Amino acid sequence: MNFIFQMAWRELRAGWRRLLFFFLCIGIGVGAVVALRTVIRNVNRAMMGEAQQLLTADALVDSTRPWSAETLAKIERVARPPLVEARTEAIEASTMARPADDTREGAQMVELKGIEPPFPLYGEFKLQGGERFDHAMLEGGGAIVAPLLLERLGLSVGDAMKIGETVYQIRAVLEQEPGAGGGFRLGPRVFVARGSMEDAGLTGFGSRARRRIFFKTADAGVTELVARLRAELAGDLVNVRSYRESQENMSEDFERGENFLALTGLVVLVLGGIGVAGVTRVFIEQKKKSIAILKCVGATGKRITAAYLAQTLALGVAGSLLGIALAKAALVYVAGRFAASLPANMSYELSAGAVWQGLGLGVLISVLFSALPLLRVRRIKPDILLRDRDDEGPWWGRFDLPRLATGALLAASLFALAVWQAGSLRVGAWFLAGLAATSGLLYLAAWALVFVVRRARRVGSFALRQAISGLHRPGNQTRVVIMAVGLGAFLVMSVLQLQSNLLDELDFSRRGQLANMYLIDIQKDQAEGVARIIEETTGKPADLVPTVRMRIAAIDGRDINLEEVREGRGMLGREYVVTYRPRLEQNETIVAGEFWGEEPSAEPEVSIEEGMRGVGGLDVGTRITFDVLGRKLTARVSSVRKVDWRNSRTGFLVLFRPGTLENAPQSMVGAINGPVDAQARARFQRAILDRYPNVSVIDVFDVVRSIGRILGNITLAVTFIGGFVLLCGTLILVGSIAMTKYQRVYEAAVLKTLGAKRRTLLTILLAEYGLLGMVAGAVGALAAIALSYAVAKYMLKIPWTFEPSVVLGGVAATAALVVIVGALSSFDVLVRKPLATLRGQ
Amino acid sequence: MTIPTGQFIAVVGPSGSGKSTLLGLVAGLDSPTSGEIRIDGREITGIGEDALAELRGVKIGIVFQSFHLIPSLTAFENVLVPMEIAGARGAAEKARRLLEDVDLTARAHHYPSQLSGGEQQRVAIARAFSNNPAILLADEPTGNLDSRNGRHVFDLMIEMNRRRGATLVLVTHDHELAALADRRISLRDGRVVSDSGDAGEAETARDEFEAEGLEAARK
Repeated sequence: MNFIFQMAWRELRAGWRRLLFFFLCIGIGVGAVVALRTVIRNVNRAMMGEAQQLLTADALVDSTRPWSAETLAKIERVARPPLVEARTEAIEASTMARPADDTREGAQMVELKGIEPPFPLYGEFKLQGGERFDHAMLEGGGAIVAPLLLERLGLSVGDAMKIGETVYQIRAVLEQEPGAGGGFRLGPRVFVARGSMEDAGLTGFGSRARRRIFFKTADAGVTELVARLRAELAGDLVNVRSYRESQENMSEDFERGENFLALTGLVVLVLGGIGVAGVTRVFIEQKKKSIAILKCVGATGKRITAAYLAQTLALGVAGSLLGIALAKAALVYVAGRFAASLPANMSYELSAGAVWQGLGLGVLISVLFSALPLLRVRRIKPDILLRDRDDEGPWWGRFDLPRLATGALLAASLFALAVWQAGSLRVGAWFLAGLAATSGLLYLAAWALVFVVRRARRVGSFALRQAISGLHRPGNQTRVVIMAVGLGAFLVMSVLQLQSNLLDELDFSRRGQLANMYLIDIQKDQAEGVARIIEETTGKPADLVPTVRMRIAAIDGRDINLEEVREGRGMLGREYVVTYRPRLEQNETIVAGEFWGEEPSAEPEVSIEEGMRGVGGLDVGTRITFDVLGRKLTARVSSVRKVDWRNSRTGFLVLFRPGTLENAPQSMVGAINGPVDAQARARFQRAILDRYPNVSVIDVFDVVRSIGRILGNITLAVTFIGGFVLLCGTLILVGSIAMTKYQRVYEAAVLKTLGAKRRTLLTILLAEYGLLGMVAGAVGALAAIALSYAVAKYMLKIPWTFEPSVVLGGVAATAALVVIVGALSSFDVLVRKPLATLRGQ
Repeated sequence: MTIPTGQFIAVVGPSGSGKSTLLGLVAGLDSPTSGEIRIDGREITGIGEDALAELRGVKIGIVFQSFHLIPSLTAFENVLVPMEIAGARGAAEKARRLLEDVDLTARAHHYPSQLSGGEQQRVAIARAFSNNPAILLADEPTGNLDSRNGRHVFDLMIEMNRRRGATLVLVTHDHELAALADRRISLRDGRVVSDSGDAGEAETARDEFEAEGLEAARK
């Protein structure tokens, strides 16, 4: 034991420079994982913490239409003490508010919420001036409003405002409302008494009022309550949710970025591992003689391996500590740079857990990736000291039991790591399969290269012939360089390819002209008047689209059941807003079936969006029975469309052929680019509202602008991380090439004594490295295309487009880098006097 | 072929005659394709790499033509290593004494690259003796040294070996050195072509050699 530690310490003391790269690989890998995981976890935690507060209840039932007596009776049967401790009902609607005084300008979309005691079940109101909330404030036409409304309409507490035709008096101003947690808002919040909303007719036919019944349950009752409510309400088109599920919904939006980050962390870690394996291999190669000597003086292979393993462990620990320090620095940077686009209550501290994880990962990677090269220690024969023979036995001897076992352990650990880091068994398996396939492919490519060049010896140029023989000489590094460089190139190009696709997805400017104002609830007879006002304001003809609301009641005559609703990816239980028109929009393409002709048809015919295909068996030829406000309507699916949502002003999942819906109850919507000036926008809204009080104008100008800003930040973050991976890859590439140079030094020295000029030597180097780089880069690129396609499609669920610049640039850059690094690291070969080299050998 | 305990035998022959191979086989550095090797009556063919290593550690000391010190260790540590591997007690003290024997106390904490060829070979000799081996194998120990240094190193090795009474197998080109052995074996193309057990001749040569050595010491 003493010998092992003594030996490890002495070797480290003498050889730390050569192992510096090992240390860096671990440091960077661990740093990336710890920093990324901490960011992911802290963001997740920050978002989760908001969930229960956001829902203000343990569970709720919600519906977009008035409660039927039947539904209420069913709820009554389940939701009673002792399971339910308290309940309250609320109605929410988006509508317009304006000053009650008709001479004052301005109108504003508001999010109206009618409540009754004991709302809120969780959370509390915070009112400006420290006032305590009391439901009495809302009685007799009172309203509590968000400060933004006062600002927009120029009102203050005590003033009156009109919503629809009802007058409300502003009694208090919100500082924070219960359940406030961000999310998309169409306008400032206004709280009123629920009764007053019903009385004012704000919840009548055609309005998009959302009704909710909130429940507070005894401690463990949430799951039971939700399950029983779901069973009871199976036939009713209502939603039952618990705060737990609402957390899941929230995280789903976040998952995409999270997966990309986790995968990137894994990639950096594996890159580090490849670097570690490379260093160890070369290190052992250089220590061959020392190992043989130790064997001569009585050390067993096991003890020597243990000594080097101890060294690896020490380096792993030191590297991990460096990594943790790097992660801390990265978090300080993130806090400074990206705080604005991350949740407000997010922490930027490294948790003790993350630190231990980093340490464990670093040591694990050090040991795992150095284990295979370290096993070569056993095969080094001490008789190399007596003669210059370098023979490690036949190739099959390399696949002995310890080696196979270590290989299996490495694969299993990598799999476990991938599953853990990517947070999914499937993704982990994919990643590992990709890595394995690429390794196999690279090995084959290396083998093929050696095979081909061995037969291409009759090349005219001396330099080229030397380069080629260098590739297949005994003890050549062809396989090692191709494997290490190829895997590095593969991982980096995969990340860059994904990054490029992810950025395309986020690219705001490519989304065409996004509308910044929406007009909804325009009645058919108001369309002409509204269109005129729009034309006068914007100078462009208005495009008003008719919409009808409906649900899917049955598919091919079979009623959809609850089970299908739940499995239907949200496609079946929802309410559809559909339109009808004779033509496709620019951003739509037919992917199956045939689109109808220009002329209307009395036979109901629909086109569905790609995403609906397969849900509940939906496809071309299926018959869907829609429930249009109680009336049943059966239509045949005649085509499936692909909609490019990035280029859409309005998008519809279901499209009807003209001829069916013209007489159904409907309203029109319009998407326009309103004036940029805030005052002009307010005047426009008021102009519409004064004449058509039922029309709602949604001004998303600020939203559009802030989305642009957030996307800009995400873009920057993704680019930054991609750049980081590129840097790591380059570093590892540099390392793995620089470390194979010792082989060339001797050969070059001999050639020099035989009269080779530096020019010739340089040409040999360039040709040899260039060939290696090109083969490694090409195979890496090919595999990167496959992996990025799979990840984009199945994991991030974003459209994948081939990025030729990444692939071509990647191959060229890999080859160039290999050549440059190879030439630079061999520079001393060219300038050194040959005698020194030959003597040293 | 049998080498009795305590015998000094020289193996001679031209390049490629199999001298080093023979030495490697005796040291268990290589395994024979046919035949068998016994050390102290124990069969060593096919006993496994690790068992061989352990055997070498306690029974066999080797001196190579090109020294083969571990470059990352100091002279002192190079001598220390075999004892540490064997787990011997008082290793540091013994290493100091061995370096004293080869007259290198002052250079104990230098690395091999900072030592001359003769010094390096003396460290290698000290290392070879560190576990009191019963057998000392030397492969052209003076082949990489100039004649003066070579003589000194050889002198030292013979002297230290005599004090310990170990069996010595010397592979050499140098007939002058070979003449000092108890027994000479000539190899050609891997076969023994002559085995002179002529002790008398060797005895005389050794006496002459020792006389010279003593004279050198007096000067």
